[in-house]
Amino acid sequence: MKEIVIISGKGGTGKSSICSALAYILKEQSVIADCDVDAADLHLILQPQSSQTSEFVSGVKAVIDPDKCISCGICANVCRFSAISAGEKAYQVNLLDCEGCGYCYYVCPEGAISLPEQKVGACFISQSRLGNTLVHARLNIGAENSGKLVSKVKSLARQQTEMEHKDFLLVDGSPGIGCPVIASLSSANFVILVTEASKSGISDLKRVWELVKKFKIPGACIINKADINPDICKQISKYLKQEKILALQEIPYSDDFPKAIAMGRTLVEQNTTKWQPFFQQMWATIKETL
Amino acid sequence: MKIIFTSSGESWDSVIDPRFGRTDFILLYDEENDKLSSIDNRDIMNVAHGAGPKTAEKIFGLGADVLITGNGPGGNAASILAKMPLKIYVRAGGMTIRQAYEAYKNNQLVQGA
Repeated sequence: MKEIVIISGKGGTGKSSICSALAYILKEQSVIADCDVDAADLHLILQPQSSQTSEFVSGVKAVIDPDKCISCGICANVCRFSAISAGEKAYQVNLLDCEGCGYCYYVCPEGAISLPEQKVGACFISQSRLGNTLVHARLNIGAENSGKLVSKVKSLARQQTEMEHKDFLLVDGSPGIGCPVIASLSSANFVILVTEASKSGISDLKRVWELVKKFKIPGACIINKADINPDICKQISKYLKQEKILALQEIPYSDDFPKAIAMGRTLVEQNTTKWQPFFQQMWATIKETL
Repeated sequence: MKIIFTSSGESWDSVIDPRFGRTDFILLYDEENDKLSSIDNRDIMNVAHGAGPKTAEKIFGLGADVLITGNGPGGNAASILAKMPLKIYVRAGGMTIRQAYEAYKNNQLVQGA
């Protein structure tokens, strides 16, 4: 099994559109994992059904037992997030402000504070509209993604890929360069970077590539919207050469991207004559380097 | 030489866990007395953030000379590991512990971090 992770650093570059197009091309050979848990969206295009659901538990928040609280206020004094305030009978934690650092838990002289784990959402193993399995997750409102959650999605997806004897696990990675992205990359065999010809596009590409390099994972890059700033596009091409990143076919700005999303389709379904050969060729290039 | 492997199991036939921070097991092979011992690292599953530095901390205490893993540690874990005289070899993902050890002996692994 080869695990291929698609990441972008910058949002809005077309990462998920490209991921769903590749999911279409690889529908018989792959399992798909949506590790962009903060803003999961592959399910909008792949419209999965008949899910197997499991709970997501991650992080802790402080809870004060009002029967044990003596209202000394030590907890409120040490809280760096101003999440604790005096109530009528006892001190209270505002759960939206609490970061779960546990400082109050350690200083409470009465042992009145506990740190229960939080149920933050759910994780699904579903059948996608295209026929392949999609492993995805949904976070509750205000809940935060973490390396732990991405690891859970990924380990379920890897198990599923092995169980189905599929050759490829296609992972829509998390944005940025933090803990969730590291968890997205930790067991990857190959990385596809999606960037765009803009200032923040090249800047975030460099940031995320510095991270990928730490993991010594080989990578390829797609420059999307390549024609919106030819100068920057040239700079990106130069950077790819310098860093020995395989440059995949550039994509000029195309209305098909927003249109396909609005219709709940993959790019290949939106305009088959244009995108089917395009992504088939792209996949052939990627496959050669795996 | 003491050699550490990130592993998905506890024997020579287990497969290298490509992940550093969230590896299931840490195996320690002491060449001097030919002993393979294992540390269960699966409680790391419950850590939301900072799995890499936590695993690096565990390894710090083992006094090993060599670490063999898959994709290698991330930035924060690497900066902890850099504080000890430890050679890190990567890209052993998919190999068994035995194969990875052989590859290391034959200088076939890539040095990382």
